Amino acid sequence: MASPAALRELQRDLETKANDLSRIQKDIAKNHQVRKKYTIQLGENELVLKELDLLNEDANVYKLIGPVLVKQDLAEANANVRKRIEYMSAELKRLDTTLQDLEEKQNSKRDSILKLQQRIQSLQAGKSKA
Amino acid sequence: MEEAAKKGRVTPLASLFPVEEAQKAVRRVHETLSEKEAELDQFRGFISDNTNLINLVQKLPEGLHHNIMVPFGKAAFFPGRLIHTNEFLVLLGEGYHVERTSKQTVEILKRRGKALESQFESLKATMQDLKAEASFFGITASEAAEGLVEIREDYVEENFTERESQSGPPKEHPPSFSEADKVKVAVEDEEYSRMMSRLDELEKAELEAEYGNERHEDIENVAVSDEEYARMMSRLDELEKEELEAEFVNGRDEDNAKLSVNDEEYAHMIARLDEIEKKPETERGNERDEDEKIKADFDRSSDQTSLGKINRFSELEYQSRKLLERTKDKKSATEETLSKRDTQKDLTGQLNCTGLTVQSRPKEMSHGKGLVQSIMKSTSLEKALVLPEVKENVQAASSSRSEVSRNSGPTNPGIAQALGKEFPTSAPRAPLQDSKPGFDSRKAFTGSIIERAHNIHTSSSQQAATSSQSTGSQPSKPVSRFKMQRR
Repeated sequence: MASPAALRELQRDLETKANDLSRIQKDIAKNHQVRKKYTIQLGENELVLKELDLLNEDANVYKLIGPVLVKQDLAEANANVRKRIEYMSAELKRLDTTLQDLEEKQNSKRDSILKLQQRIQSLQAGKSKA
Repeated sequence: MEEAAKKGRVTPLASLFPVEEAQKAVRRVHETLSEKEAELDQFRGFISDNTNLINLVQKLPEGLHHNIMVPFGKAAFFPGRLIHTNEFLVLLGEGYHVERTSKQTVEILKRRGKALESQFESLKATMQDLKAEASFFGITASEAAEGLVEIREDYVEENFTERESQSGPPKEHPPSFSEADKVKVAVEDEEYSRMMSRLDELEKAELEAEYGNERHEDIENVAVSDEEYARMMSRLDELEKEELEAEFVNGRDEDNAKLSVNDEEYAHMIARLDEIEKKPETERGNERDEDEKIKADFDRSSDQTSLGKINRFSELEYQSRKLLERTKDKKSATEETLSKRDTQKDLTGQLNCTGLTVQSRPKEMSHGKGLVQSIMKSTSLEKALVLPEVKENVQAASSSRSEVSRNSGPTNPGIAQALGKEFPTSAPRAPLQDSKPGFDSRKAFTGSIIERAHNIHTSSSQQAATSSQSTGSQPSKPVSRFKMQRR
């Protein structure tokens, strides 16, 4: 009969869709993590910028690069921190859009899975009746 | 059961909130709660570290150099010297260090400490919310397990005392009164109606003060036409009188002393208020004059507005709050929610409401009025948010009165109506100038009232709502008349 084959196919479809869904969910979780990291770093940079602004012109600023503490110019440090802040906010925005896309995909996948399941159920009900 | 007669709907609570789910929710909330607790502890550790560091940094420059044991590797020390005791390399974050002196370092550390504390506070706030959630879930779970039944009935306007329903166990959820409560409700409703009439009459006086003579005829016509009001008002006066005496006997002398500390005018006014209360209600005209005199007095006193006054106001407010707390549970519970709001408001609101509080103080003896007054306080505070000035506050208050009564006609929360009636007592006393009704305050005010009446998740509000609903029919008359006056 065609129906058991069709049924098996549908079930296979369901499996693949379920895998896709779990993959999407993992992506969303990763996205969340990266976003969190970026948000924390952004906060820290803003704090640093605030403190740097409070410094006098002649204060010595050092940057820790690996095991080396390197003297830096105040203006240079300011510029660097500001650029980092900009970069991170751009990253965050990008991540946000990706997250939205992922969520949409997740929802659509869920819907299709539901539909599949309904079809399978109706088929099985039909078969049991017959 | 009455449900059949009143066309009610009986829903077992378990169907609305399945027991297992409620319990699961409780567990979940508890877990989050413990997580937050751990974070809170971490924060406390940070804050204490910060303070220790500040102390150390302040101590170091006290000497040119210090002899210390310098750590060397993981398990060794050697004796050494700490020199350049005023130079600190401070880590700002992201690998940036900056050279600072001891004082500057302390400043940086202090700023960090402040940021930490604000985070700590916000975390605490979240925890409070979580705790509230947990308690709610716990209550729901236990009640669902007990098989508590939620009964909803259509509101029947005919007689407020008839409106009641039975339920099994604890009556925390919507309309569940027992027989005893019914009687209590009836008694309180009478007092409400009494209050209503009193408020109505004072409101007219205030109206007249505001709008001048044109209103006179309206007020007169409306006022004279209802005997029932006369009766209710005389009953109200009796009640207030006896409560007044009881209160004073019970040692409110301290409060009175404070009162007189303020100005003699206050005692003056309050005496006048008492007079008014004791007079027969038909002499509305006289009372209006009295109110006006009192208003004049108050204007004078308000001219001297000073911080000292504000302090005394707050004392009085506190006393009035204490008084309110003595009232019956539902009233006090509502008051609680109100005082929560109170705490969020600023001084102008406080001044406004305390101004209102002072006048109503002699009246707050009646617990029913206490409820009203507390509500009035909160609404006046809300007005403070809408219109910052004190004067405008009162104006808004007076206008919100009209709006409240107007709105409460259709929406029916008895609280609102009681409130509408209570305001007139205060208005003549408050530092009123020629006021223009602030109609934009209406939305905020009704919003709050509606929220109350529809909030089924707090027992207090439920009970208050139900009790107010039961009194709704009675005050509808004063409301309508009030509407007429406003038009």
